[in-house]
This record gives sequence, C-alpha cells and structure tokens, in this order.
Amino acid sequence: MNIMRKLMCSTVVAALGAGSALAQDAEPVQIGLIAPVSGIYARPGQVMKMGAELGVEDVNAAGGIECLNGAPLELVVIDSGDSVEKATNAAQRMVADYPDLVGATGSYLSSFTLAVTEVTERANLPVLTLSYSDLITERGYENVFQTSATAGGQAEIALPIIMDLAEEQTGKRPETVAVITDNTAASLSSVERMKNGLLDDVGLELVSEEVFTPPLSDATSLIQTIRARQPDLLFFLPTVISDANLILEKMQEFRVSVPTISFGIAIAEPEVLNTMDPELLDGVMSAVANWGAAGQEDLIQRLKDEYGEPWMTQNAISTYGDMWVFKAALEESCSRDREALGEALRNLDGGPSEYYPGGTISFDDMGRREGASLTIIQWQEGVPVTVFPEELAVAAPKWPTE
Amino acid sequence: MSKVFKSLIPFGIFAVAYLALSMVVTNSYYQFILTMVLVWASFGLSWNMLSGYTGLISFGHASFFGLGAFATVLAHYHLGISPWIMLPVSALIGATAGVLIGLPTFRLRGHYFALSMLAYPLAFMYVFQWLGYPEISLPRERENPAAYMQFDDGRIYTLLAMLILAAIVVLTRIIETRRFGMALIAIKQNEAAAEAAGINTLGWKLAAIAVSGGIAGLVGAFYSVVILVITPHSVFGMLISAQALTVTMFGGVGTVWGPIIGASFLIPIAETLHAELGSYLPGIQGVVYGIAIVVLIIAAPEGLYWKARDLFRGRSGTGGETEMPKSETPADAEALATVTPLPTQFRTSADADAEPVLEVDNLSKSFGGLKAVQNVSFKVPAGMILGIIGPNGAGKTTLFNLLNGFQKPDEGRVRLNGGDVLGEKPHAICRAGVGRTFQIMRPFKRMSVHDNVKVGAYVHAASEDEAEEITRAALHEAGLDGIAERMAGGLTTKDLRLMELARALAGRPEILLLDETLAGLGKHESEEVIAIIRRLAKSGKTIVIIEHTMQAMVQLVDRFLVLDHGEVVTEGEPEAVTRDPRVIEAYLGKKWASNA
Repeated sequence: MNIMRKLMCSTVVAALGAGSALAQDAEPVQIGLIAPVSGIYARPGQVMKMGAELGVEDVNAAGGIECLNGAPLELVVIDSGDSVEKATNAAQRMVADYPDLVGATGSYLSSFTLAVTEVTERANLPVLTLSYSDLITERGYENVFQTSATAGGQAEIALPIIMDLAEEQTGKRPETVAVITDNTAASLSSVERMKNGLLDDVGLELVSEEVFTPPLSDATSLIQTIRARQPDLLFFLPTVISDANLILEKMQEFRVSVPTISFGIAIAEPEVLNTMDPELLDGVMSAVANWGAAGQEDLIQRLKDEYGEPWMTQNAISTYGDMWVFKAALEESCSRDREALGEALRNLDGGPSEYYPGGTISFDDMGRREGASLTIIQWQEGVPVTVFPEELAVAAPKWPTE
Repeated sequence: MSKVFKSLIPFGIFAVAYLALSMVVTNSYYQFILTMVLVWASFGLSWNMLSGYTGLISFGHASFFGLGAFATVLAHYHLGISPWIMLPVSALIGATAGVLIGLPTFRLRGHYFALSMLAYPLAFMYVFQWLGYPEISLPRERENPAAYMQFDDGRIYTLLAMLILAAIVVLTRIIETRRFGMALIAIKQNEAAAEAAGINTLGWKLAAIAVSGGIAGLVGAFYSVVILVITPHSVFGMLISAQALTVTMFGGVGTVWGPIIGASFLIPIAETLHAELGSYLPGIQGVVYGIAIVVLIIAAPEGLYWKARDLFRGRSGTGGETEMPKSETPADAEALATVTPLPTQFRTSADADAEPVLEVDNLSKSFGGLKAVQNVSFKVPAGMILGIIGPNGAGKTTLFNLLNGFQKPDEGRVRLNGGDVLGEKPHAICRAGVGRTFQIMRPFKRMSVHDNVKVGAYVHAASEDEAEEITRAALHEAGLDGIAERMAGGLTTKDLRLMELARALAGRPEILLLDETLAGLGKHESEEVIAIIRRLAKSGKTIVIIEHTMQAMVQLVDRFLVLDHGEVVTEGEPEAVTRDPRVIEAYLGKKWASNA
C-alpha cells in the first residue's frame, strides 16, 4: 500500500507541474486526445496528434476562445494503447487524472472508441470521434458525436458511385464481389450493411466473405480463396496497416489482379510504400470518411513541412477539424463545464462543414453529423488522391485496370 | 468453526483497513485499482482452490472467468437481466464448466494437465469471436442504475469486491480445515498415496474444480461490471489465466493469504507503471510481471507468504529443533528394551491356521513380456506379521500395488475377510481395510504431523470430532504424541516413517502393507520402529512388510514369503527360511551361507 501511495503522490505532483508550466493569461481549456500512440495502431494515432496540434495552434492563433477571455486550447494526449482493454483502462485514467478536461477526441479504431465512450459517457465528457462504426451512435449516448458518415452510411454512398464508375470506364457493370474484412467494429458495420440489402440494391452477388482478426500473420489462404472465386470486384476492409500490406503483397505474389476497392485508410498510409511498389498500387481505390482535399492545400503543406507527412490522411484532417468544432461549441457554451459543452454540441449550428466532407457542423439526435458524406481516394502515381466528391477532388477517378 | 473464525481475524483487520483506505481515495482511477486488486485476489483464490491445493496447475482458469463475464454482459445486453442476478448464475455456469472440463481433463496429470487446460480458454476465445462478439459492453442504465449494479461512486465497487473476497476467504478457510481441504492437499503431495489413504481423488478433484470454476465465474461476472467493455481476448486471453497464477505464486501457493498479498503488490505497481510510463514503454506491465516472477523464483519459490513464515518460524523454531533428541530419549530406551535379538521369544501368538484376514489366490500380473507377479498365493491370519523378501525386481512392490488396487491383476483373487476386493479402486480398498505406506516417503510437508495423520482419518470418520479422535489414537499408537504439532517438513526419516505408519493406521485398517518401512534407518532407529510395529501386531493388527534389511526382518516377522522373478520361492518360519540353502545362496549371499 505504501508503494501505491508514493506513486499516487508522484502522479499528483507531476500533474500539477505540467499544469502550471503551461498556464497563460487566461487558464487554458483542456481538450483530450485519446488515441493509440503505441502498439500496432500507433501510426494513425500519431497522425491524429499532428492534426490536433495543428488545430490547437490555429485556434489559439485566431484568438483562442473569445468568450472565455481568449483562453487557449490545451491538448492532453492519452495513449489508448493497442487493445480494447488498454483503451478502456486509458479512458478510466483520463477521466480520473484530468478532471478539468471539457471534451476529448478519439480513438481511431471504432472498437476503441466504443470502449472509451462507455467510460466517458458515464463521466459526462463529450467526445468527438472520426470512428465510423454505426454502433457508436446507436447506444443512445448523449455525449458522443460522430463527425464521419457511419460505416453503413459510407457503404451506401460509395457503392453506387463505384458501380457507375466501373460501368462508365469498362462498359460493363461488375456482377460478383468478394469481401476480405477484419473483425473490428467499423469494418463489420460496413459489411453488415452491404449484406443487408446494399449489394442487392446495386446488383452485386457476394461470392466469398473472409473475416480475419488483426494482426494477420499469413494472408495466403485469403488470397487463394479470391483467386479461386474470380470475382469482378474485391471489397477490402483492413484497419491495421501491416494487414493491408500483407494482403496487397500476397495479391501481387499470386498475381491476383481483381479490381480492389478498400474501405478505410489503412491501404493509403505512407507506410504502405515501405514495402510496396507504387506502380502496383496504382488504381487501388478506397472509400474513406475524410481526406486532405482541394481547398486545404496550405494545411497539407504545413503538415508536410512540420511533420514530414507526404499527404494528409483522414486522421490528420478530421482531428484538425475537431479542434474547430470544440472552439465553435465552447463559444456557444461560454463555460469550462463539460456538461455545458455537451449541451452546446448537441445544439450546435456551425454552418457548412469545412474540414469534413459534406453536410454541416451540427449533430442529429443520435450524435451523427448531419449530412456527412465521404471521400473516395485512389492511388495515382504513388500518391493517394481524392477523386470524389467532385468539389473536393484533386484528380479524376480511373477504373483500376486488370 | 472457532478455529476458522480465529484465523479470520487478521483478514478482518485487513478488510477494514483496506476499506478505510478506499474511502479516502478520491481519484477514480486509483479507486478502480483498489477494486481490481480485490478482483484479482479473488481470482487468485479461485485458482488456488484447484491448483494451489491439489497441485494440478491450471493454465486455463480464464475459461471460467470469461464464461462468467460473457454470460453477465450478454444477459444484460440481450435480455436486460441485471448483473445482481447474473453474478450467482455465472458462478453456477463456472461450476458446471468446471465439472465438464474436469471430467475429461483429470485423466491427465502433471504437465499434460496444465497444457490441456490451456486449450479451453483459447477455444472459447475463438468461439466468442466467431459468434460475432469481438467486443461487447454493458449497456448504461439511466433509470435505476443501482438495480443493474451501476454506481457513480467507485467506492461501492471496492466494497462489493471486498464482500466477494471475504466470502471466498471464509469459504476457503472452511474448506482448508475440513476433510475437503485435507483431501486436496493430500492429492497435491501424492495422488497415489492419497488414493491409498482412502481418498476418492477424482471425486474431490471434481469438487475442487467445480468450486474453483464457480468462484472464477463469479469473479469474471463482477469484473465485467467494473470494466464495462469485454472482448474475447480480454476475458479468455492468456494474460487472464496468467494473472491468477502470477498473483498466487507471488503471494504464496496453497494459502488464503497468497493471492491477497500477490494482488496487493503486483496490481498497483503494474497499473501505476502502465499509467505513468505506458505511452513511452508500452508493455511495461508485462516486464514488471516477468521480473517479479524471476526474482520470486530465485528468492522465494513458494511465494512471499511462505518465505516470510519460514523466516519468522525459523527464528523462534531453532530451539525446538535442538530440544528434540532429548525428548525422544525415553522412547529410544523403551525401544531398546523391548527388542531382543532372539525373535522366537517375541513371536506373536498368531495361529497360522486361524481365519485369514487376507487371502491371495493365484495372483498374476504381466507388463508386456515381463511377468512381474506369477501365480502368487498366500494367506495372512489375523495378528500375524508376514515379511516379504526377495532381490530387487522380484515383484514385491508390484504385489503391494495389486493388493491395494493401484494395478489390476491379469488373473487371481484377493479376498479381504472373505470378501472379494479385486478390481476395486484404491480408495475403496482402503475403506475396506487395507492400509499401506510407501517405499519413498511422501509427507505433506507444509502440514503438521497431526494434520498429516488426520488426512488418513477421514476414511471412517463421520464427523470432524471423530476424525480428531482417530487421529489422536493413531498418533499415540505410532508413538508420535510428543511431536504432533511439528511441521512434517522438518522431521527425521524415522519420524517420517512413523508418521506414514500413523497415517495408514488412522484409516483403521484390517491389514497394514508396509513398504520398506525400515529403509534408511540407523540401527537404533530401526529397533525403535520395530518395537512399534510389534506392539501394533500384539494389539491385533495384521501386517505385511516388504524389507531388504534381513537382520531387522528376522527380529520382526512371524513368517517369510520369499519372491523371485515374481514367483514364490518358499514360505515359512524365519528360522527355516533363513536356513534354506536356496534362499541363502540366491537372496542372502554367500556371507550368510558361510555363517549359517
């Protein structure tokens, strides 16, 4: 018990030290970022941190929270680790150790977000999330706000666009599809929605469905199934970058050249290029909730200059946008109280969305951003670029050639 | 009951102090750690119940834990059933799973058992993943949260966890001091010996895994309530099973304090390190556990509790150790007085034609081509001491194993008091009246001499009081009254032999099978033991003894049965047998031939 007390004391001292060092004229307003910065999901978490830091920088440069005497935002980063257990634990630590947090954003993987929000909801802490499992906002929680279109919603928007594109460029509508998905919450939500009518609606027959648990150790059997089935299309839903790599590499090795449409950003992270030949990636498309797009060139350039990131993924841009949503809501609530912020977010009317595709900065009763759409990106000449929607596109889409 | 109650006072003090600490902790995360310490201590006690006491190491306690957790969350999620109801139901599920897993798995022993247990949680993990539960959380109840065990104040969870732990501690203490606990400890020390001492080992092991699984199921259910979100990995994972092992082995195996001490040390340290350093040094928890285990294996292989106890007892116990020989002197003198070198004068009055207690007819056993026992027939009348001699490999111990049911004979009959006991399980044969000791002593080292003997007394005792009475009598018969409260671990070979004898006597046997009871004893010690055996024979016990020490045997037995290559060579009075040229030359060597 003694040891524990000592450790507890040291925690308190450390927290106080950190707090006073950062204090400015007006006491800063603490915003949490609870995301994986260690383990197999560390990379997306680190990119979220970059986006958040840029966002805090810009909000503070624009005068902070005017209503609170120009109080600056202060980012508190909490590592959610690489498992649901660690994420739950991290959320518990976050609400315990940072009683002054007014809101938080996180946690990349929908599975983590589901776990984290179980804790934050009970602590009345408002959470913005870029995770898009439908389940996140199906629990009737009041303080969880989804900025992305839900997985089911994204599939619904993306599938007709993909079918039209295929027909337009090849002259033939695809008839069969195979699915390779991991079993994380967002991927499962998308696949669920596809199987419950969406595939029928667009006239696709599901010929094979392979579900795996990340991290994958061998993709051979998955790819052999695809090779045997010869589908017209492959829908591919990984969340771990190494899984995406492994499967794409295996497809090359086995010379499986089915047009591949991914869902999620794992296949479009810069790390993919560490092991893959960009030429072989050319044409691979992915439906993602958000991506650096036309009109955000300056921001994308700053990300390159400050952090050396070659392009801006969903994690950076959405988390950047979250800081502006917090600012807007804090101006409304004009309070350091988290419950007041939650109330402000529920009633927010922030106008057209600038940093998320489609819709407005307002949330419906479930906490879903109203009118949220998605972006479709495509590997073109070694870079994943936005090809849909047209107003955000930086290049025209090309159907992946076989 | 009062003994149990008394032993619970330290726990009561601990509980009150712990809850007082919990009341003043305001940081919700540290409160959470306080709850978790108790959860893992409870889970450690569940593991201890099976593995700590029986020694059957389970790497798979996550099975029961996970089933309890999933049952609780699924029942709440899908059916809206409150965890208050699911906690006892989960205990029931855990207990049932325990029996179902135990039935096939107890066929295995040692490492094979441990590794098979590992398979169950892994299988469950995939089943639940396949069922579509990569993660599931307890729905938040806004209306009447307390009815669903949902509280804003973390101290209530700590209090509930303490209640659960207290209930488990009381249950463990009650079991520890009863027939149940004695049986489990006996199984741990030597399953064969336990079976020979009249313990239905399979039955008790199933009972142990049911209780253990039940506790684990309950703890898993409570864990899910506190942790809110579970995944197959988080409740069936290897780390969960390891957690039970780690806290118990760190604190001390086979004691109620072990898991409590282990959890109190390890959980706060690991959690705090994880909280403070987790983002720079991911997996620091695992490193702490690893180091803790390595240090422990080197410094205190049985756990902190036993190490501390040994240190404490060691200081106050040295005096007792040196006193011992003095207190034994009268017994030695008595022994010397009763044993004289001329055996004929001390022969028991057993009548060779009297109604035999044990009747062996044409007993045979082969192991492949080796005929270990062939057509052996003999009778042992009441009150006789029969000595079985023969060179190594003659089949003496195999014969004992056939007599007490460890092995099944290929053919032949064994009758005890006229009743057929062939093919019965060892514990049933023990109950029927065959007691035995072993060539290699297997004392229950951590138990007192008294408790060692008491294990054997449960065979015919209907109540604790009766078991106590029988134990006292057996201790007296074996001349162990003076050292009844000493730990068996510190006894001399002679005292261990006598203790084994007393344990066999406590089973109230009709006939005692003594396997090399005099082996490894000095001349005086052996004379003392002989005196005791003779006294037993005089009081009407029938005894069959295997022995190499020829001299001692000549002093002791009424008749000899000589075995070689599994066959009876000759049988008769010691004088006749020792003069038989075949015996002298083949078994006693040329020295005896020239002396004869």
